[in-house]
Parts: sequence; structure tokens; C-alpha cells
Amino acid sequence: MNLNKAHFLLFYLTMTAAIASGLAIFSSASNITVLLRSAVSGLFVPLLLSMVSAFLLDPLVSSLEKRHIPRTRAIFVMFFVVTALLFFTGSWLIPYGQNMWNSLLTDFPRYNSQLIAYLREAQLSWQARLPFLEHYDLTGTVRNTAEQALAFVLVETPKSALKLGSLMILLPIFTFFFLRDGTTIMRRMVALAPNRYFEMAHDLSFLVSRQMAHFIRGRILEAIIIGAVVAAGLSVTDIRYAPLLGLFAGITNLIPYIGPLVGMIPGILIAAVDLGIGAQFWWIVILYILIAQVILDNFILIPVLISRVANLHPLLVILAIVMGGKLYGVIGMIIGVPIVSAFKIAFIEVRHYRRAFSLPDTGGDRHA
Amino acid sequence: MNSLWNNIFRSKTDEESLAGFIAKVPVFTELEKRDLNYLETLIHVRNYHSQETVFEQGDPGSGMYIIRSGHVVIFTRDNQDAEEELAILGPGDFFGETTLASPAPRTVSARTAEGTELLGLFRSDLLATAIKHPEIANRILFGLTKVISERLQTATLEIRGLQRKLTEQQH
Repeated sequence: MNLNKAHFLLFYLTMTAAIASGLAIFSSASNITVLLRSAVSGLFVPLLLSMVSAFLLDPLVSSLEKRHIPRTRAIFVMFFVVTALLFFTGSWLIPYGQNMWNSLLTDFPRYNSQLIAYLREAQLSWQARLPFLEHYDLTGTVRNTAEQALAFVLVETPKSALKLGSLMILLPIFTFFFLRDGTTIMRRMVALAPNRYFEMAHDLSFLVSRQMAHFIRGRILEAIIIGAVVAAGLSVTDIRYAPLLGLFAGITNLIPYIGPLVGMIPGILIAAVDLGIGAQFWWIVILYILIAQVILDNFILIPVLISRVANLHPLLVILAIVMGGKLYGVIGMIIGVPIVSAFKIAFIEVRHYRRAFSLPDTGGDRHA
Repeated sequence: MNSLWNNIFRSKTDEESLAGFIAKVPVFTELEKRDLNYLETLIHVRNYHSQETVFEQGDPGSGMYIIRSGHVVIFTRDNQDAEEELAILGPGDFFGETTLASPAPRTVSARTAEGTELLGLFRSDLLATAIKHPEIANRILFGLTKVISERLQTATLEIRGLQRKLTEQQH
């Protein structure tokens, strides 16, 4: 019997059932899964980050391998180079960043009170014009949220500094092994497929991982470029914390549609408070919106780096962010979108594959 | 084999090892010893039961199979699902190599006649090798082209012979 539509449907259903039952077992309340969950709890983020960095560093290692250096030695050479680079940039970057972060935290109440003052004025003016809004206290809610956020950051930072230490140890180790044996692990897992579907599974795993590597590299490169451009543009003005704002804009750019907007907010806020609404303020607004987003992002970066096919519908993005947030908090929100993008890439590749071979339901009538 | 007294430290002889077996396949005649070791990591070893389908006519094809042990029946199915046996292949034979370079649906079906061990070399691995070790990929492709050209020449001669017989019959 031919591989046909029923087989693909079965494949999708099996994947969905596997993921659903995995999640169900993981979140069930039995003792074994509690132990399992606590054993796994700290490992998710290092594993994910090391997989991403293995993806990123793989082309470099491959180009070294092409020059007849055995893979293990090539990985060591590359680690040495990356560590040296990180050490040199880190040794002057870290104290600088630390100072900036501390001064930002001390300045935060000032920005907060200014923002509240602006909002209060605005609230009075629109309450005068639209009387039915009188009972909506925007300033109060904003003030409460801001205080909560500041308290959260102050408490979490020392805790996450500790986690950062363990991350620094686990990350290189995981990355080394993923770089060296990543393909072997994938091949062994695909080889578990039954003989009849093995060829198709092998083909698909190659196509999907190639597309995903391309996607991840493109996204991260885009984030780095946007962050650098914003930081450079901001440092021309008198605004403080230009590098931090650039970094923030770059990271939030990873989330489609909402990310760039969120990235703009601190910059515009600090500009409004520190510099007033003047020429420099408008330069900053133009920088964020026109230069970074429209020109750089839409016209140059995305068409070159990322194929438009892998873009997600805005509704899917919102769903991914909300569900990720419910599962894992802030980190979940950030990684929710790439995970859904990964699924979409897999679906697109499978569809391509079927069309390339004109499998019975998409091709012509062969049993005429 | 008495494992207590046999020499367990002797590595497999050339005939027994996978690399030695692969070297005899016509597609890989250009490869050197070091390349064969790399090829061993590339090849997938699959075990089949008796009367198990390897692939069906129309399946997406993406690689060649080499028979390590056992026998494989190559046949076609026509529109009424009747089978017409084309060949029975044995150890050392290979089939499906036309899909190694370009994706295409399989033109025939293959089924194992008994418990069989097949070695598979697939297109995606060849593409990955072309990036990581271009020389090895070049030599494999050379051997592949040689095999396919010989098959093409034989087929052309046969077609011409048949055409001649056809015109003779018409007169």
C-alpha cells in the first residue's frame, strides 16, 4: 500500500498525541513526576541555550573541519577563540554595565514619578472632556504596576545572578557535546523509525533542521544588528543608558509584532523625562520607528536573512506569548514564539516534501 | 565460537568489516581507505524481516540500498495490481541509486525474499558530506555517474536493438 494522505494524517496525530501525553504526564501530580520535575527544573534553560549556541557555532566548526582538522580539535580551537573574545570584551564591559544598571535602578523612581505626573495631567484633561471616564484611575494602576515591577527586579536580580553562575558552567559543556555529537544523536533517534517510514523520516529531519538552523541564525543576526544600530543612534544624543537601551531593543526584536513596540517604550520614556520634548526627543522617536523598524528591519534585514514564509500570523503570536507566559513566566513568553515558529517550519517542509514527490492526493491520477 | 578461548582482541578482518564490504561496491571504487571509514559513519544499517517491503512504486525516493546479506525481489505493479518480477538481487548488489542525486518517485517496488540486512546511503547525508568533506562527496559522485552511465549505455543499446527488431517486423 502506498504512502498516502492517511499516513501523513497518522503521523501528525501521533506527534500531537505524543506531545499531549508528554505534557500530561509531566504536569500530573504523582510522586514520580514530582521527582522528575524537580530533577529537570534547572536544566531547561541551559539545554535550550546550549542547543541554540550549538546551532550558531556549527558553521564555524564545519569550516574548520573542511580544512582536515578533526572535529573534536576544531571544537576546542573554536571554544578557545570564543572564550578569549568573551574574556577581553567582558573585562571592560562588565564593570561598565554594572555601573549603568545600578544607576538605572536608582533613577527608576524619578522616571516613575515623572511618568505619573504626565499621566495625571493627561488624565485630568481627558476627564474634563469625557466625564464618563472619571472613575478610571489610570495613574493609580500604573503606579502600582511600576512599584511591583521594581520590587520584582530588585528581588530577582541577586537570585538570577546565582543561576547565571551555574549556567556559565553548564552551557560550555552542553554546547561542546551538542556540537560534537548533535548529528549523531539526531540520526540515532530517526533510526528508531520503522523500516517503511525510515527514508521519509530521515529526509524530513534533514530538511527541517536545515530550515530551522537558517531561521535561528537569521533571527539572532537580525537582533544583533538592530541592537547595534539603536545603540549607535542613541549614543549620538545625550541620553543616558544608550547601550542598555540598544540591548533591550535588540532582544525584544526577537518577538514579532509586539517586541519592537515594547523595545521602544523605555527609550522613549527616558528620552521624554530626561531631555524633554525637543529636537533630540524627535530624533530618538525617528530612530526607533523609521530607521530601525521600517528601513532596516522591513526593507533590508528580513528579506535577506529570513524567508517571509516562516512568519507567523499575529493571532498565533499572541496565543504563543500568552500560553508561554502561563507555562513558564517571562522566559516562557520569549521562547513561546520561536517554538511555534519551529512547528510552522516543520509543517511547511512536510508540505513541500509531499508536493515535490506529487504524492497521491496532490499529484495526478496514477491509477487511471 | 568459544568466547573464553578465542582471540577477542583481534579486530574484524577486512572481509568482515563494513568498510571492506563497501569498497567492493562499484559506486565506491574511487574511495580511499580513510574515506571508507568516514563512509561507515554515513551509512545506515537496516534489518528487514522476510517478505517485508523495502519501498513501493511511487514512494518518495531519496537514496540507494546495498544488500549486505539476503535477497531482494524487484518488481513492478501495473494498473490491475498484478506484479511482474524484474530481478532478484543478492549480497553485494545495489539498487535505487538513481534517486541519490535527484529526488524522484520510485519506479519499481522492492521486497525482501528472506531476512535481509540492507545498507542505506541517502541523499541528505550526501548533501551534508558535500559541505563537510567535498573530496569524498566528489569521489562518490564520480563512482555514481560511472555506474549510471554504464546502465544508460546498456539500455540505449537494448532500445536500439528493439527498435531495429520492430522495424524489421513491420516490413
